[in-house]
Amino acid sequence: MMHSKFAKLFPMSLLLMLLFLGITAPVQATDPGTGSVADRIAPVGQVQLTGEPPLETESEVAAVEESVEPRAAPTPSRSDYPDIGVSSRAIVWVLAQLHLFFGALVLAVPLFVLIIELVGLFTGDERYDDMAHEFMKISLTGFSITAILGGSLALVLFLLYPDFMAYMMRVFGAQWLVYAGLFFFESFFLYTYYYGWNAFRYGNRKWVHLSLGLMLNASGLTIMVLANSWATFMMAPSGVNEVGAVVGNIWEVMKGPLWNPINLHRFIANIAFGGAVVGAYAAFKFLSSSDPEKRAHYDWMGYTSNFIAILAFLPLPFAGYWLMAEIYAYSQQMGITAMGGILAWLFIVQAVLIGTILLAGNFYLWAGMSRTDGSERYKWLVKFIALVLVVTFLIWVTPHSLILSASEISQLGGSHHHILGPLGIMPAKNIAVNLMLIVTFLSFQLYRRSDKVATVRWAPAGNALMVAIYVVAIANIIFLGVYYGYFTNTVYKVGSSVAQVASTLVVIISGIVIDTLMFRNAKILPSHWGRIPDRAQYALFALPIAFTWLMGLMGYVRSSVKTHWHVYTVMKDNSPDNFIPTIAYAGNMITIVTVLFLLCVLFMFWVANLSGTRQVKPAAEGGAA
Amino acid sequence: MEEKHKMGIFSTLISVVIAFAIVLVLFYGLNHLIMGMQGLPLNVDLTPAG
Repeated sequence: MMHSKFAKLFPMSLLLMLLFLGITAPVQATDPGTGSVADRIAPVGQVQLTGEPPLETESEVAAVEESVEPRAAPTPSRSDYPDIGVSSRAIVWVLAQLHLFFGALVLAVPLFVLIIELVGLFTGDERYDDMAHEFMKISLTGFSITAILGGSLALVLFLLYPDFMAYMMRVFGAQWLVYAGLFFFESFFLYTYYYGWNAFRYGNRKWVHLSLGLMLNASGLTIMVLANSWATFMMAPSGVNEVGAVVGNIWEVMKGPLWNPINLHRFIANIAFGGAVVGAYAAFKFLSSSDPEKRAHYDWMGYTSNFIAILAFLPLPFAGYWLMAEIYAYSQQMGITAMGGILAWLFIVQAVLIGTILLAGNFYLWAGMSRTDGSERYKWLVKFIALVLVVTFLIWVTPHSLILSASEISQLGGSHHHILGPLGIMPAKNIAVNLMLIVTFLSFQLYRRSDKVATVRWAPAGNALMVAIYVVAIANIIFLGVYYGYFTNTVYKVGSSVAQVASTLVVIISGIVIDTLMFRNAKILPSHWGRIPDRAQYALFALPIAFTWLMGLMGYVRSSVKTHWHVYTVMKDNSPDNFIPTIAYAGNMITIVTVLFLLCVLFMFWVANLSGTRQVKPAAEGGAA
Repeated sequence: MEEKHKMGIFSTLISVVIAFAIVLVLFYGLNHLIMGMQGLPLNVDLTPAG
């Protein structure tokens, strides 16, 4: 009861305190001094004193303000960029990408930790709470690493791109201070959330703990959306005129056309990425344990991580599609640079990585089916799912414009293959990705069903409905892609992709609803956590590697799409690196950053393990009394 | 027993046919709805209208 009273009184007290401060703070005692009455009261308002010169009227003040020119973006010359003997862009690239990797990780982990903690509270199963606590423990060092990298990035940016940073400071103004201030809040909530885990474990205190977790997530998300506004401003500036002078308020500057698409895309991607990274930890601990109980625990942890990663991954292509659509809507030139011009081949590399992720995720699910005996009913479907995945993956990686020499072009009769060429354009890719997502969901559904036997009378009808939804949805996606993609005009081609997405979502949503209803009071078959082949854990290693490389690749695309601009069409990049680097160079850079990140993650895992290690006190030597 | 088995297969077949019919209509309507929302009307045979 005492705790409930405290919980009720605390917010009221805080509100009263803030109100008090808000009223009293501006009221500052002034030193009466020895000045005249006019000196003391004239600045406060429009008081015309007898004998004094007439005061400026509002229109005169406005005229003075108007004559002050808004400042355009700077136009640095080559010599204005500091030269430290190595490529400035390479240094910023490494630090920025590493910062983004860790930032994504430490924003994502508290998100799903909070949900797992809630699941533990509602189910009463303490294993969820313990696992959530362990996820936080693994990622704790990551917060410090993120801050170190962020600080280093800021220093390097100010050193190497002083004019650009001065401009960004001017445009975003006090928002930078808000960003810095949020780290105080995030640190407070992080430390109280993690270190208070066992102190606020049960009853009303658990709700306090969950509130701390919620506030941790709120501060983290706010930090992310603020930082996103800088990146999107550089790509699609808003709130400024054609020479970069600020003409809007901070909200207009932040809320550009790409801000919300990037917010959504990064929010979902962070969750998927975070799940993949902690899954690698679970896989490592599984392989290095010989105790069956520990193996069971880490097997379950790995499954949960993969579940989070793949579930968050499913809507990600749609968020990315929205982002690209907004880029095209903002600037056709930028859109074409990204997907129809010099950067187009990167989306083939992206297809390879996403195919890797989906194949690894599906393989882990199939291997996991050996945990339950009831999975024998569904194993015959696995080869068909694998076939669909491989075929759609091959379609997705098929390029449109081939890299050919002049003689090869004349032999081929053009730069496109006459049979495979049509598979290189978006309608084929849309068919492929939607089918990959549907069959991945099918793998999920089969896995979830494999330890249950439905007892409801309408189970046969429910299964018939589910089969019909899968078959018709797949047929619809293929029809939409082929007919509108190749036999109608461009507008219908682009519009049909939305209907394809809707078809995929119908499958996913109806699958979840039907299974939830159909397996109520189902007979549960025994599940043997830990009974999974070791090779499945290597799929959990492959996932974060592919995710990390993919994030690095897409970061390269996002940054390069501005071509030779610091801020697109507003502030030109006149540095020695004002060109899009070659794909080979970018590939090497992304690989270097990925390896560095994985080394840091290994350090993070090692520190997490270290905290639980206790050295045995050596026995006393000789016969000392 | 064989009669019962035949009836079982028949009722399953009916369920499947009805399920397919319902789902086909559902997706047909979904196509019209989604395309229409984007200002891309379709004819009854799903060809672009206008």
